[in-house]
Order: sequence, then C-alpha cells, then structure tokens
Amino acid sequence: MSDLVIEARGLVKRFGRVRALDGLDLGVSAGEVHGFLGPNGAGKSTTIRILLGLARATGGGATLFGRDPWTDAVELHRRIAYVPGDVSIWPNLSGGEAVDLIGRLRGGTSDARAYAGRKARLIDVFQFDPTKKGRAYSKGNRQKVALVAAFATPADLYILDEPTSGLDPVMEAVFDAEIRRVAGEGATVLLSSHILSEVEQLCDRVSIIRAGKTVETGTLAALRHLTRIEVSFSTGPTDAQLAAIPSAHDLETAGGRVRFTADNDQLGAVLPALAQLGVQGLVIAPPSLEELFLRHYGDAAQ
Amino acid sequence: MTALLLQRARRDRVQLAVWIVCTGLLAYVTANAVGSTYGGAEERTSIMRLAVANPSILLLRGLPQGTSLPAFVFFQIFTYLALLAALMSTFLAVRHSRAEEESGRAELLGATPAGRIRPTVATIVHGVAANLVLGAAVALGLAVGAMPVDGSLLTGLAAAAVGIAFLGLGLLAAQFAHTSRGANSISVALVLLAFVLRGVGDALGTPSSDGLRITSAWPSWLSPIGWAQHVGAFTANDAAPLLLCAALAVACGGAVFALQSRRDSGASLLPAPGGRADARPWLRGPFALAWRLQWPTIVAWCVGGALFGLVAGALSGVVVQAARQDPDLATMLQTLVPGEGTVTQVLISAMFGLVGFVAAACAAQGVIRARQEEAGGTAELLLSTPLGRVRWLAGYLLLGAVAIVLVLASAGVASTIAVFASGDDEAHIGESFAAAEAQIPAAVCYLGVLALVFVAVPSITAALGWALLGAGVFLGTFGGLIGLPQWVRDLSPFTHTPVVLARDTDLGGAAWLVGVAVAAASVALLLMRRRELR
Repeated sequence: MSDLVIEARGLVKRFGRVRALDGLDLGVSAGEVHGFLGPNGAGKSTTIRILLGLARATGGGATLFGRDPWTDAVELHRRIAYVPGDVSIWPNLSGGEAVDLIGRLRGGTSDARAYAGRKARLIDVFQFDPTKKGRAYSKGNRQKVALVAAFATPADLYILDEPTSGLDPVMEAVFDAEIRRVAGEGATVLLSSHILSEVEQLCDRVSIIRAGKTVETGTLAALRHLTRIEVSFSTGPTDAQLAAIPSAHDLETAGGRVRFTADNDQLGAVLPALAQLGVQGLVIAPPSLEELFLRHYGDAAQ
Repeated sequence: MTALLLQRARRDRVQLAVWIVCTGLLAYVTANAVGSTYGGAEERTSIMRLAVANPSILLLRGLPQGTSLPAFVFFQIFTYLALLAALMSTFLAVRHSRAEEESGRAELLGATPAGRIRPTVATIVHGVAANLVLGAAVALGLAVGAMPVDGSLLTGLAAAAVGIAFLGLGLLAAQFAHTSRGANSISVALVLLAFVLRGVGDALGTPSSDGLRITSAWPSWLSPIGWAQHVGAFTANDAAPLLLCAALAVACGGAVFALQSRRDSGASLLPAPGGRADARPWLRGPFALAWRLQWPTIVAWCVGGALFGLVAGALSGVVVQAARQDPDLATMLQTLVPGEGTVTQVLISAMFGLVGFVAAACAAQGVIRARQEEAGGTAELLLSTPLGRVRWLAGYLLLGAVAIVLVLASAGVASTIAVFASGDDEAHIGESFAAAEAQIPAAVCYLGVLALVFVAVPSITAALGWALLGAGVFLGTFGGLIGLPQWVRDLSPFTHTPVVLARDTDLGGAAWLVGVAVAAASVALLLMRRRELR
C-alpha cells in the first residue's frame, strides 16, 4: 500500500470526554479524487485538521506521503493546498492581498509571471473582485479567496473541506472544472462534502463516515453494488400477480405506480417475471448516492 | 422600545457591572486611603504646595482646590473617575451603533418596526442610565469612605455628566467611521485628548497666592473632563459647569439623528478605503503580515507616546524657567528629587512612566492580536502553508518588541524637540532618550509573560492581558498612594522601572524584568512547538 498519499488507521481524537474521532480509517491513493462524506459533526473537519498537523490525534496514526503530519507539518505543507470549511480572512486585507500572501508562503510564486497568469485566470473564472477588503466579503466570496489561493499555486495534494458550501451553481461548475484540471495534472484530491451530486460527479472513490468512524469505503460502483435497485411501473397487475414476483422487497403501490427494490444480483430473475406480466412504463434505476447516504445516516436517526 | 432596552441591558450586564463596581471601588479606596495616609492638614498642605509647583503632578491628578481632606480626595481621583466613565460610555456607544451595523445585526432590526431611529434612542437611554448608576456608585463609594454627602453626590453627578457627554461623542464618531474599530479609535483619542487638554490647562494655570489653589488656563475649558472638574466638589459645590457637558451631549445627539436620517444603513461619512488587487512585494512572512495587520494600531500608540513626550518636554522647560526666576520653587523642587538628578530629569522621568504604560499596552495588544487570529480562523489558513507555529508566533513577538521601541522612540523624539523648543539649555538629547529606554524592561516583560499565557491558556489571553496591565498600572500609580505593602507593589513590573538620574541609576530591577521577559518568551516558543491550534 505504498502508493497511498493519505493513510489513517484507527484515528482517535478526544476533546475532554467527547470522542470526535473513534477509530477512523482513511486511505487515499495517489492521483485519485476521494470523496469524504458524512453528516455534520461526523468528524470530517477534525480529521482534516489532524491531516494538516493543526491538531494531534489522541490515538491511532496518520501519514501523508508516508510522513507524520504533526512532526513534519512544514515540509508536508509545501506539497499541500487547503481550503477550510468556514473561511476566515483578515478584515483589513483585500482579497487579492490575502491570495498573494498565501501563495508566497506556499512558495508557489517564484515564477512571478506564471503565478500572475494563474491568479488572473482564476479571478476571472470565479468572477471574484480582489480589491475589496476582507470584512466586506460574503461567505461565498471568502470561500473564493481560499479557492483562488489554493488553485493559484501547484500542489501534489488538495485538501478541501466543504469547499462549495457558499457558492452558487455556476461557481460550483467552475469549481468542478478546476478539480478536473488538477486531477488531470496528476494531483490527489480529498474532497469533504455533503453535497452528493458534487461527489458523484467528481470522485473516483468515497469514504462515508459517521460518528467518528468509517462506515463505508470504496468506488461508487462498488458501493452501488451493495445496495438494491429500484424497479417501478404503472399499476395493472393484481396483488396476487405482484406477490409472485421473485426477490421483490418493500413492495408498495402509490400514485398509480408500483414500486419495489431488488438485490442487484437478483435482477436476472426479476426481469422475466415482469415481461410475463407485460408491465407498462417500466423504470429500473440504480441507487443514487443519496440513497447510499441515507442508508448509512438513517441508522443514526433510528 | 422596552425590548430593545432589555436586550441592551442583558448584553452589557457583566461588562457594565465590572466598569461601575471598579469605578465605585476606586472612589472608595482613594477616599479611605487619603484619609489614613494624609490625615494631617500639614502633610496635605506641603503635598499640595509641591503639586501646585509641579505641572507634571497637576497633569496627572487634577485641579488643586485647597487642603481640606475631601478637596484633596477630589484633586487626587476625580479625573480618573471621569476617564473611566468616558471610556465606558464611548465603548458602549460604539458597541450598540457602528458595531451592530458592521455585523449586519442592525439590518435585522432595521427591517422590523423598530426602524432606524428607535435603536439609537434605546442606546442613549441605556447609556444615560448606565452613567447615572456609575455616578451613584461613585457617590456611594465616597460617602462610605467618610466624605460629606453633598460633595459625594456632586462628584458622582460630575462623573456621570462626563460619561454622558462622551456617550454623545461616541455615537457621533460611529456616524463617521466605517468600522467599529475605527469608531473606537476616534472616540478613545477624543477621551485622551480631553484628559490631556484639561491637564495642560491645569498645569499652565495661575496659582493662588497661598500656593494651594489653581485657576486653570483656557485649555481646560475645551475638555468635558475640565468642565466637570470645575464643580469644585466639597468646596464650591457648584453644579453649573455640568450644563456644558449636558449641552455637548444634546448637540451630539442632535447631530447623530440628523446624520442618521440621511445615510444608508451600514454607510459612513468617512468612505471605506478600497483595497489593492495585489499584495505589496514585502508581504511575505509572519512578521510582515503582523506589521500589515497592526501598523495602524501601532501608529496610534506612537502618537499617544509622542503626545506624552511632547507634554513632558514642554512642561519641564516651563518649570525649569520658573524655578530659575523663583529660588523658593527651585528649593522645593529639589526636595522632590530622590537622587542627584536635575529638575528636567525628574520631570521627564515621571512623565515617561506614563509612556511606559502606553508601550506595555501596545505590546499586550500585539499578543492579543495573535490570539484573535487563532480564534478567528485566519491562523489556520496560514499554518496550513509551510509556515511553522513557532515562526508564526515569533513574528508576532518580534513585532511586539519593535512596536515597544517605536512607541518609546517617538516619545523620546517628541520630548527632545519640546525641551529644545522651550529653550532649556540644561537639557541634553540624552535625557529624554534615557528616560524612554528605561521603560523598555517593563514593556518587554508584559510581552514575554503574555506570550506564555497565549501558548498555555489561549482562551483567556485577552482578558488576562488587559487585567494584568490594568493591575500593573494601578499598583504602579496608586500603590503608594493607597498605602499597599511594598511586596504587593513589587508585583507590578512598573514598580521596577529604573529611574534614570545623573548618577547611580539602579538597573537591578530592569535586569530582572528583562530576564523574566526572555525566559517567558523562550518557554512560550518552546511550548508552541507542541501546541495544537485551538
């Protein structure tokens, strides 16, 4: 497993009596865009702070590029760009100044012309006004400061904590394009989010965490494989006929449609039965990430 | 309206209670201490003669009105009671006006039937009430300290009147500045100006023939604190000058309503400055950033230091000339000198004690700023770059040290210029600078100790920082007056500030202070290596 850029094993973080992380595992391979999903308070930001060496794990261990994020923070940060979840910027610095300052600290501005070009392009695509003072920016605009700063200097690893929570849909599309660009250049991305469509579009693999533990991890295809597929069609067949469909679960009739779910590997047995009934308006939908998500979060609600 | 008032009272309950109780206690403690320390009329007469002859004492105390015990108490403490009332009121005014607009909460209220005017009315009622309670606390403190009741009540009323005048000025400043920080800077500057103007007026005033009273010069009449001082509590007992405070408050209130009805919510009369699209080339590191963030504050502290320096230099020139013409005064002044110093040296030394407070406050604010960066989340953004925690903190500490030197240097330069301008040929360039240099140890001691507090218990950095500074200033200024034992006074770094004289300057205390500062700062930097961001 030496190609893991991020590796966390049994990560524990306690704040007093509260266990923010309770044995969290996370593995992100080089070059992948990894979705980091979980409800609010699941421990996403705490994990990211440990990975950045801003907080220290109470138990377990984590490595970035094979090194300890707490002791080797400064060396590791040369390769990392970070966008915090709730971006704070200096009230009396302009957005442009803040971007330049972060770029210079990251050491990505030695080629001044190339840096100025990247900065100008990002300011343009994000439609960002760099001359306003920090206190005058809205949440979305503060987020743009961090995003422009993160993408204006090259990095091997991008750690993004709910980076689009204040952006409008147009800006989300710009953000998606930037992620694809850096991923295309070979960078690794850890994208924490609870916006499912974003993760579904961008990520190769996802880890779902809940209450400080990893509950599911894998490619989206593999995760979908674990869930049932939803089948629906117009009403028509009698109750007895419906009951005879093999492997149908959670059968219900509502709004003129019959719905049930079936395990992925049982679909081959279901289809001939539906053909025999001659159903109309047949829809067979793969599980959305939302369903995956709700399935895991649902446990918490119960 | 009731809801708005209750909300204000609830939000300020702890803060105002602390201001009011502390002010009342200061009045009580002083009344008590003056009674026991200067109980004899002869002692008070000789002290008052010295004060009348020494403008720097007048500047720092008040207007001498005879030597009865209550009049002596009023002379010692009233200007400070007025100062506390004024600062409480300006902070209160800005907190409920510009700060609300800046945060956007005013918009939330402005959209309700409360509208634009009613929150301001509520703030005025709330502020006037707070000042009346403060006045009552002062009166109670003095009366319990065995002062006559009528004069105690008048003193309380005078302090409240100063507070109410500055409530108006604070609200007016909030109309001009774009940010609450700007409004607070303007109003604190006004408060200090009022204090200095009345001090200059008293110092340049005309002594009575018995040398126990002073009629102030005109600058006193430019200051609300000066007006209030002229009530002559316990002697003349004349409330009429307070009408000037009331008139100023009413005028400010009228101007505030007129301005507020013309401008947009959130807008200000002074425009918000635009920013740069690119950072200046030097903005590349923790020290540069700390400077970029703090330079306006540091400049403000430097201006404060320079003002004190100017007063110190100008006064010493005036006094030396007076002493040359009047041999009695010269002899009297000589008794003030604890060692072999000249009159100029003694006066400058005493004045630079104040500059030392300013330098220490500037240093404390630098460390508190680091905490604000951490609590506000901007430090997280910085420390996610290849910038280590230790280097980050070191940048702030280095800037703190530079700021101390800048504040003291501006005071030294201003004082030197003023001494020369007043034509005192006894003066040497070195004297002002030596007196300024002597303030470095106490200020760096605050810097180092507060850095350690920031690393060890970050959440209380600001509260403990200002509390330590306030306690140090209090023990350094009033410790002797209220007769505290020497070991308690020794707790204040300012007690150990060397007094620079012609010969035999004792640098033992200074060495200790610097030692403590270096040790505390080193431990802070070492611990920072192992500290999480909180």
